[in-house]
Amino acid sequence: MDCPDCKEKLDRYVDRELSSTEVLELQLHLEGCPDCSDQYEFQAHLKRLVKHSCDCDSAPAAFREKLRQILT
Amino acid sequence: MAESPARTAFAEEALTHLDTLYRGALRLTRDPDQAQDLVQEAYLRALRYQHSYQAGTNMKAWLFAIMRNLFWDRFKGSRKEDVSLDDVGEFVLYDKLRDEGAKPEADVLDKLAASEVVEAVEKLPPLHREVVLLVDVEGFSYKDAAQALGVPIGTVMSRLHRARQQLQKSLYDYALESGIVRGSNNNQVHE
Repeated sequence: MDCPDCKEKLDRYVDRELSSTEVLELQLHLEGCPDCSDQYEFQAHLKRLVKHSCDCDSAPAAFREKLRQILT
Repeated sequence: MAESPARTAFAEEALTHLDTLYRGALRLTRDPDQAQDLVQEAYLRALRYQHSYQAGTNMKAWLFAIMRNLFWDRFKGSRKEDVSLDDVGEFVLYDKLRDEGAKPEADVLDKLAASEVVEAVEKLPPLHREVVLLVDVEGFSYKDAAQALGVPIGTVMSRLHRARQQLQKSLYDYALESGIVRGSNNNQVHE
């Protein structure tokens, strides 16, 4: 695998959407390529940032209880 | 009259996914009251069409599909009203920062406020926002996101790709405006 191949697959690697064979090939490349490894860390960091910024809202307790009353 | 045990069990299982639906509704409507109305209607519809849910399949994706379809029917009127993404071209934030000399690149991410990230997500057109919500925030697989959105997996991937580019461009613009990075060569992350 070369750098363009690796970069093309980084999103799917971060999203855990590659096959096990592709994962092994990509990991092998990352171990020997600091540039791609840095970019992978950045992409993974960005995905975590989006998740943690957006997933802090939970349904209000009163709303949860209201729904439970309506539905069950 | 007491609800049947089967309906109650179904409702209880469905309610385990409430936070996901509420967060999705909140990000789509950008209004807590509208989000609650949307989620309540989605749950009522889910119970009405309980028979169409196939046991053993992904209930969270099924519920999200009901909720987002209601969103499109009710709050947007027509799917044609979805505005398209700005054409940002191939924008890769990592490459941009590296080319401008901002090192280490990940430090820039640490300086971004969560509220700005949320704002950048909410600025995405709904068709692109919802795929980011499913894959990046709720951790859906592409397959489950495709089920929830009623589109092929390839569409999920292309929307996600474009949404992430727009998102990265918005975050870069914010980093520039707030002085986290300078938009010229020899850029450095400010302390």
